[in-house]
Amino acid sequence: MKKKMQTQAFANLIGALIFSAISVWALIQTTDFQEIKHSFVQPALFPQIMAIGMLVFSLVLMIQSIIKLVKLDENDPLSQPAASLNFVKHKGVLAALIVMALCIFFVATFESLGYVLVSILVSLVVMWLIGKRNIAQMLLVSVLVPLGMWLIFYKVLTVNIPMGPLTFLRDLIDMI
Amino acid sequence: MKKLLSLLVAMTFVCALATAASAADYPAKGISVICPWGAGGGTDACLRAFSEAMSKNLGVTLTVDNRTGGGGIIGHQAIADAEADGYTMGMITFEISTYKHLGTSELTYENFEPLCRVNTDAAAITVNAEWAKANNISDLASFIDYCKAHPAEVQMGGSSNASVWHIAGGYLMNAADIDLQMITYQEGAATAVQNAASGFIQGVTVSLAEARSFIESGHLICLGVMDTQRNPLFPDVPTCQEQGYDITYFTQRGIAVPKGTDPAVKARLVEACEAAIADPAFVEFMNNNGQAISYLNSEDYTAFLAQSMTDVGDAMEVLGL
Amino acid sequence: MNWSLLFDSYGAVFGNVQVLLMTLLGATGGVLLGAIPGMTATMGVALLIPFSFGMDLIPSIGLLLGIYCGGMYGGSISAILIHAPGTPAAAATLLDGYPMCQKGQAGKALSVAMFSSFCGGMIGALVMTFLSPVIADMAMKFGPGEMFMLAVFGLSVIVAISGKSIAKGMISAFFGMLLCTVGLDPTNGVPRFITYKNTGLLEGFQFIPTLIGLFAVAEVIAGVERILNGEEKQESSNEKITNVLPDWKTIKQIWPNILSGGLIGTFIGAIPGAGGDIAVFVSYGFSKSASKHPELYGTGIPNGVAATESANNGCSGGAMIPLLSLGVPGDSVTAILLGAFIMKGIQPGPMMYITELPTVYKVFAALMLANLAMLLVGCLGVRIFAKIVSVEKKLLYPIILIISLLGAFSINKNVFDIGVCVVFGIVGWLLNKYEFPLSPILLALILGPMCEKNFVRFMNIQKGNFFAIFKSPIAMVFLTVAVVVVLFSIYNQNKINKREAAARAAK
Repeated sequence: MKKKMQTQAFANLIGALIFSAISVWALIQTTDFQEIKHSFVQPALFPQIMAIGMLVFSLVLMIQSIIKLVKLDENDPLSQPAASLNFVKHKGVLAALIVMALCIFFVATFESLGYVLVSILVSLVVMWLIGKRNIAQMLLVSVLVPLGMWLIFYKVLTVNIPMGPLTFLRDLIDMI
Repeated sequence: MKKLLSLLVAMTFVCALATAASAADYPAKGISVICPWGAGGGTDACLRAFSEAMSKNLGVTLTVDNRTGGGGIIGHQAIADAEADGYTMGMITFEISTYKHLGTSELTYENFEPLCRVNTDAAAITVNAEWAKANNISDLASFIDYCKAHPAEVQMGGSSNASVWHIAGGYLMNAADIDLQMITYQEGAATAVQNAASGFIQGVTVSLAEARSFIESGHLICLGVMDTQRNPLFPDVPTCQEQGYDITYFTQRGIAVPKGTDPAVKARLVEACEAAIADPAFVEFMNNNGQAISYLNSEDYTAFLAQSMTDVGDAMEVLGL
Repeated sequence: MNWSLLFDSYGAVFGNVQVLLMTLLGATGGVLLGAIPGMTATMGVALLIPFSFGMDLIPSIGLLLGIYCGGMYGGSISAILIHAPGTPAAAATLLDGYPMCQKGQAGKALSVAMFSSFCGGMIGALVMTFLSPVIADMAMKFGPGEMFMLAVFGLSVIVAISGKSIAKGMISAFFGMLLCTVGLDPTNGVPRFITYKNTGLLEGFQFIPTLIGLFAVAEVIAGVERILNGEEKQESSNEKITNVLPDWKTIKQIWPNILSGGLIGTFIGAIPGAGGDIAVFVSYGFSKSASKHPELYGTGIPNGVAATESANNGCSGGAMIPLLSLGVPGDSVTAILLGAFIMKGIQPGPMMYITELPTVYKVFAALMLANLAMLLVGCLGVRIFAKIVSVEKKLLYPIILIISLLGAFSINKNVFDIGVCVVFGIVGWLLNKYEFPLSPILLALILGPMCEKNFVRFMNIQKGNFFAIFKSPIAMVFLTVAVVVVLFSIYNQNKINKREAAARAAK
């Protein structure tokens, strides 16, 4: 049984369950949409069709996976073990989770710290995480790339990017 | 204690001096100008040309910053929320009168200090030429008679939902007491015009400039412009007022600064606006672009925005928005 | 066709040094801009419009068309090298381009992309020169019903790009379509799945941040995971790029894809409101269905790259047709070009072919020139771009991450969009891990709004009578082709699955 639970077929079953849950949730939500008097198509119609479509194919996938699980064939690629999300066992997954956390940090502090500072921090941590240990190279790349990007966006493309405490750089560049 | 007090007094004095100095020195650095619509659009083009003209007078660079999304709300909000130091201003557009009615945002003209109105473009009633001929429609009166005889049958295209041209349909319905079916075109006026020219819908309520090429080619005919005077591009097309219907309706764009800007700074900016409006390069640009310059000063513009707020609300009610 | 005027106009454009310089400048800028995820050709054109104010019409059009064509190719560079389509129109290029890069054929993929872009662009420019009036008449016949069926036809490609499991592909596609409906309903402005307070989502998930998230950010997360699991191998650039253009053998292999891609691109580009992003998927699906070895698509073959790249540059020629002859822009770049014409006092539209014929011919010539300039820039750049792959992965991934996130921001200058990008990065990583294909989501995101808008508009115009669509011959042609494509793709997929099963049994 445990073996069956590690197969791709089982993973598909879980995926199908999640997607059918999403479509059921969406269907419930659509009942709350406001109705329009003069329109021949209500705003809820299109999302409803899509949610039902997703539900139907989730059920198809569910049935397919159950059939596969019942009579498991060793040669079938679907009986191979599925990718794991266990971050205790696999340090790759843990690292992926850390990168996601860093991305969220990036979003949260983008406006207050500014693009360049956040990028330096995030890229340094990611580099360290994936085993880069040459401090000089790390610093050089993580400082020069964001600075260069900012400069291109600011000067060439005239796109203003939040700079946080480094806003003075903008005035500095303007003076030159 | 006395020392402290005198220190405080001195500090207040210095601060007051500093502010005074800043107003006198204004502008000491580049100004950022927020455009709530995408780069390359009509508002963006108008604002870039106007900023160019203003920078000649102010002597500093004006950088246009496109802050788009949320149907213009994000950009308008950014102007209202900006620091009122005179170094951020922006262009407010017609849509500012719709947000509160739609319920999408609490923003109104009262969140800004309007400096001047720059441009207006009047809506026009334009219909498919073949359809008009088949139904003996040649002017606004015959069109309105036809609409009265066929309620809710005539289909007119605006651009996207609750946009300026869509609401133009509501104005028309209100003023002439007719019932039209408004079809929305999120892709913009060009697609609506093409659909009208091909006969998928009967007409459009967009500006003359946008329908111009198909009017010239004979696919569409314009029955009237919702303006006080005739359009220089089409001197033969009468206004609605001339035909006995008091409908004036147009989109508008103007310059505004955040609420609470120092009056001295504001006065300096108004002066720059006045100079920019008269700038020959700007005038030439706007003429080429088919956008009409219609300047209103700060007070008149504010009054205009207040009036527009109620008018737009009425038209939106007719459309069921 | 006024031949002497045509030749005079070509001569005037190709003989004008300022035009040549501006076009080359534009193409260089376009390729570089296109290569940065989030910086699209549209933005490049929009940002350079002010610079063109002071110029004459033809040099400024040359500059803008150079950016347009260059940007179309530039988008494929990052799609091939770092799995981040630089422009939406390059989104299908990564299906085969990135696997080619992983096989150590980055240089070959780039040169195929460049050569196909050039050929596709030339096909578009030629069709535009000789068939404009015919195609413009066709474009006039497109109303909401026809557009709806065109979207359905585009969606029929989903089966072909679903991968092993059609059920999973369909789930992805419907998920993508459902994502499109988040935000204000386009017809009536009713909030769906959100409230008015979610200002950042009023217009739904912004396309480019979503795209960057699903592909670039997801790939960085997956890459970090692979490195720590010890699965990542560093591609060394021992691939020798002896010739910047593809060799004769490759050209013989890919020419049918280029031809069909170029024509499909031109045709779809000519329909107002349908652009390169749709054309590339249709062309890819068509090439895969028509191929004797559909199973090789997606594993990194030059045919896949050729089919998509020729389509997106063919589009640039196609999109110019409704722009010039109807005044209706075919995609977002031509919408900006429309503004540029008007600014110079020229009103594109039905009258332009009568009153401004020399200008029209000069625009044809400028488009041809822009494609040549793009080829030149591309040739010079292939070796340099291919070097990116040999940058150490441990430095490359963080760089891609911070550049991608900035790209997501720069579209609307809205921090919320970076959040959208990150969320879709995580979703994309999960879906990829469990082999739910991402391309159907992307196609659904492109076509979903077009599909819904035109469906609702059609129903409103017909007062609720859907069956009126059977009266439109164009719509019926699209419907028939869509059905054929779906059936053929299912048949193909079954064939592929059987072949693979047989191969396993043989082992």
